[in-house]
Parts: sequence; C-alpha cells; structure tokens
Amino acid sequence: MRYSRFFILLLPAAALAAFLFWRFGAAGEESVVRRQFLMGTLVEITVPAAPSGTADAVDRAFAEMRRVEELMRPDGPGSEAAAITAAEGPIEVGSETAEVIALGMKVARLSGGGFDMGLGRLKTLWGIETEHPRVPKPEEILSALEGTGPEDLMTDGNRVLKSDPRLAVDLGAIAKGFAIDRAAEILRNSGVTRAVVNAGGDLCVIGDRGDRPWRIGIQHPRDPGALLATLSLENVSVVTSGDYERFFEAQGQRYHHLFDPRTGYPAGLAQSMTVVAPSAALADALATAAFVLGPEQGLALLKEFSQVEGLLVAADGTIFISEGLREKVEWP
Amino acid sequence: MTFSVAESSDLERARRRIFLALFTALAVALNTVEVLLPSPVPWFRLGLANILTVTVLLLYGPRAAWAVTLGRIIVGSLLLGRLFSPGFFLSLGGGAAAVAVMTAAWKLCGARIGPVGISCLGAAAHAAGQMLLAWAILVRHDALWQLFPLLLLASLVTGVLNGAVADMLLETLKGHPAFAGLRDAGRKNSSR
Amino acid sequence: MALKSVLRRMTLLDRAIVMVLGMFAGSLLLGINSRAPGENILVEREGKIIFTAPLKEEREIRLKGIRGEAVLIVREGGAEMIEAPCPRKVCMGMGRIDQDGEIIACVPNGLLVRIEGGNEPEKTYDVLSR
Repeated sequence: MRYSRFFILLLPAAALAAFLFWRFGAAGEESVVRRQFLMGTLVEITVPAAPSGTADAVDRAFAEMRRVEELMRPDGPGSEAAAITAAEGPIEVGSETAEVIALGMKVARLSGGGFDMGLGRLKTLWGIETEHPRVPKPEEILSALEGTGPEDLMTDGNRVLKSDPRLAVDLGAIAKGFAIDRAAEILRNSGVTRAVVNAGGDLCVIGDRGDRPWRIGIQHPRDPGALLATLSLENVSVVTSGDYERFFEAQGQRYHHLFDPRTGYPAGLAQSMTVVAPSAALADALATAAFVLGPEQGLALLKEFSQVEGLLVAADGTIFISEGLREKVEWP
Repeated sequence: MTFSVAESSDLERARRRIFLALFTALAVALNTVEVLLPSPVPWFRLGLANILTVTVLLLYGPRAAWAVTLGRIIVGSLLLGRLFSPGFFLSLGGGAAAVAVMTAAWKLCGARIGPVGISCLGAAAHAAGQMLLAWAILVRHDALWQLFPLLLLASLVTGVLNGAVADMLLETLKGHPAFAGLRDAGRKNSSR
Repeated sequence: MALKSVLRRMTLLDRAIVMVLGMFAGSLLLGINSRAPGENILVEREGKIIFTAPLKEEREIRLKGIRGEAVLIVREGGAEMIEAPCPRKVCMGMGRIDQDGEIIACVPNGLLVRIEGGNEPEKTYDVLSR
C-alpha cells in the first residue's frame, strides 16, 4: 500500500494522456481540401480520410484540369477548339477533343438540336460572359445561327469537319464535365477511393462517404440559401444547369446564359435541370440539353441513356424527377 | 445455541448469496424506474443503481460488485427488451468502466476513500466509458465531444448524490445484526 | 441531519476527488465554449493566404485582386463583400458568411474569402450541386 498514492495520481494522469492523445493526436484521418480557380469557376477537391501522398495526387488532378481547359477553351494558342473554329476544312485534333465532340454530337442528335457545340458566334453576340452583355437584334441572331444545327460537326476518328466553315466552336457546356472526369480518373489511379471533385457545383463523387453515400444538396433555383432536394449517391457525376447561374437584365427582362440553339434566345421551359450520370461530361451535356428541351422532352432524352437520371424544375416551379432517383432523394 | 465453525461459515455464505440476489433485484428495479422517469435530455440519467454497486463493493468486495452490476445490466436489458441493442452496449461499457475504476480506487486507497469518492469516480468512469463506446459504435462525429464536459459535470452531481445515499444506506445496514462486522469482511474476502 | 453526518464521514480523499473532477469538467466546459467564437477569416489569392484575422474583430478590408480592389466588411461575427470591381458582382450577391467552411468566391478577381475554425456547421449535405 506504500505506492498507492503514487498509483492514484498515475492512473488518472495516464487515462487523461491517453484520452488527449486519442482525441487530438491521431493525424492519419485528416482530410485534404484544395481549391483553385479553373475554367471560370472555383474548383474544390475534397478527399476525406486521405492516405499520405493524396495532396500530390490532388495537385496532379488540378494540373490535368488546367491542361483540359487549355485544350478546349474557345480561344487561346493551345486550344484545339479554337483551331477547329479557325479551320476551313477537316482538321485533325487530339483523341480527347475528338471524343468530347463525338459525345456532344450524340447528345445534339438525340436532343434534336437542343444541344449545340457550334454556338460560338451566338455567345459572342450576346456577350453574356463579358462585362457588357446586350440583347442582339433578331437579324443578328439569325445570322449567328447560320450553319448551326444537330449535324453541324462531324467526327471521323480524330478528324473533325464543320458543315459550315464559319462555325465557331464552343465546348463550354461539355468541356468542364470532361475536365472533372479527367481529375477523377487521376485521383482513382492514385489509389484514392473516396473524393469529391466539385467545379462550381458541377461535380463527381468517387466512392462513398465512408459509412454512408455522399449526400449531394441540389440548389433551389429561386431561393439562393435553400436546398431543392438532397440526393444520396455513390460513384456518379452530378451536374446542374440553372437559369440563376449567369444572367443579366435589360428593359426589365432577365436573360440567362443557357441558349436554345433552335431560337438563339435563352431557353424558357425550365428553371433548373440536374442530371446524374456515370460521367461528368455526359451529365454536363445532358443537363444543358434537357434544360433547353424542358420537362417532357428533356426527361425523355435522359431515358435514351443508361444509368442516367434527372431532376428538373419547370418554368412554373413544378418539380419532375426520374424514376431511378425517387428512392435516393430527400426533400427538405 | 452454539454453532460449529463450518456451520457458521455456511450460514454466512448463504446469507451473502441471498443479500447479493436482493441487491441485484433492487438494482434492476431502480434501473427500470429510472428509465421510466422523464428525463430533461436523452443522455442524462441519474444512475441510481450505482448506489447499490457502491454499497455492495464496500460490504462484499469487488467480485460481488461485478456480479451485481453485470446481473443488473443483463436482467435490466432483458426486462426492457433491449438486450444487444446499442443502448445495451452503452450501459455495458459504462458499467464495466465504472466498476473497474471503483474497484481500483477501493483497492488502492483502502479506508482513505469513502462511498462518496468511490461513487464519484464510478460516475465519471461511467460517463467516459459510454462516450468511448458511443464514439466507437454509434456516431463518429466531433460534436459528440462537446457533450462530454456536460456529461461529466452531470455525472459528478449524480455521483455525489448517489454516494451520499450509499453512505447513509451503509450506516443503516451496519447497525443491523445481519451485517455486523461485514464492512471489513469485504476487504477480507477480496484479499484472498 | 443525515446529510450532515454524510459530510462528516467523507474522507479527505473523497473531497479531493469531488473537487478535482469538478474542476476538470469545468475547465473542459470553458475550453470548449471559449473556442466556439474564435473563428478566423482568411482571404486567398492564387492559392496564397493574403489576409487573415479573427472574425470577432470588426473591420473593413480593402483587398487587391487581379482586377482591382474589393471591399470586405467584417462585423458581428460575419463577413460580406460590399464592393467588387467585377461586372456581375456575384461575390456581393453571395451575402454574409459566418460559419466554418463557408466561402465567398470572387472568380474574375481571383479572390477567395473563407471562414475557418470554430464549430462545424450543421450541414445536411456534403457537397452542393448548382
């Protein structure tokens, strides 16, 4: 019993030390979160419970996205999209650009022209990404639409041919998705089993959240602080196109950035369209296309693809949801 | 009337068993009553059954305390229909931590520690044990730890109260012939 | 009466245990509560932190971005952008942020304002699609 006093002190001290170490000392479970401005938006890559070396993989994923951005932006010296725009005849491009254009043309065909990668001149005309957007005159719009349509680009292997030499290529509605896919691929190849690549609300989730699926909040199109729904999903890409993202006002009218290629004016049938698909490039293109087509035709378009689901808010606020999402959605 | 030595120890053993069974039954009853009582917040419990664990520990020693506690948790869970539910494992973890710490304190400190001190240590260990188990099997969320100081503070209050009741109970029992001289018997039983 | 005798029977160690446990619980409680409002505001430009300060200190900050000067105001434990040199003023439209992990991103100006530390906000989702 001589040492009892010593033990009385030692026991709680040891317990406290163990508690503190266990609570604050375990460093292996740190998550890695990195952000960079890329493709005109804030890209955030999150890897929960990251193994060592993850930060390096995340940096490489960002570098890959930057490479894709350089390749597919509408202008710039390294851009293949710009090269196609400048080309008079058929032109050889890299396999990635050819793959993206082939996928885009499939969506363009199936949507009956609701999706178009030849809207370069129309977008320049509206200037919606610039400081001075304006509403063009109808005849200007008609002239900017000349040569566009569901067959305006053709691919044969890595060769791309424009149906009209004046066609200006804009891959904005699909390239971001492709860049997300590439980043996700890099992470997967580096042994990352759980991650989110989020490019300003267009995202890809890898694996699950650990003990449960990822919970993906969908922005409410009319209430900036609120959620429309929450989806519980694993290993998919989710892209939302909404009329609230970019817009300007002129003479009391709101003009947003999602144009209907058939009219040259902002599409008016939907407030937002969320597409869940196996790849972000497909989700990106389909979100734009189905937004333009509206509730009936838009959701019918999604049915043409396997493992593709969607959630659409129509112009009057009615919510449409595809069959496969009903078990995965939670309403607020 | 005279007893042989053997008869006297037989009688003592039988008496001890009967009282342990009685204490376990009482602990189960208190446990059940406590669950039925309304509680201000879900995790807050009075831990009344610990009164009996402390009493038994001081009367009969550690093995008896383990028996009463485990018996109470298993029978009590059966009674409330939550054997092997998460709540059951939480009670088991908390109970085991409490008895382990109380026994250790009782062995190490001997007469220098009384029922109130033992009860307080037990209550704190109970809170810590439950916390660890909740973290391990239920929610791995950091917010859980914000609950811990409150839980610890609450357990301290209930620990003092329960210890005081155990102390009074022990004083009362000591006066009864059935327990005469038993306060040290616990120590003797365990030192074997 | 009875309680008084309980008090009398309490040993020195009993009292010490009660006091030490009480102090430990109390200090933990204080420790957690004092951490809660200690959140910081951080401003990043091109991946580098160019400004950081506690959120509870009220101030007006002029931030040099790629495009020009933006004004961030910190008051009552939150931050908001009140002036921006960009055409669409998206960052101003993002309103006020006051919880850990919240972000004001000013894309054309290359500025990222975020809040760190303190308690995790109660979020019902992991990531937002918009």
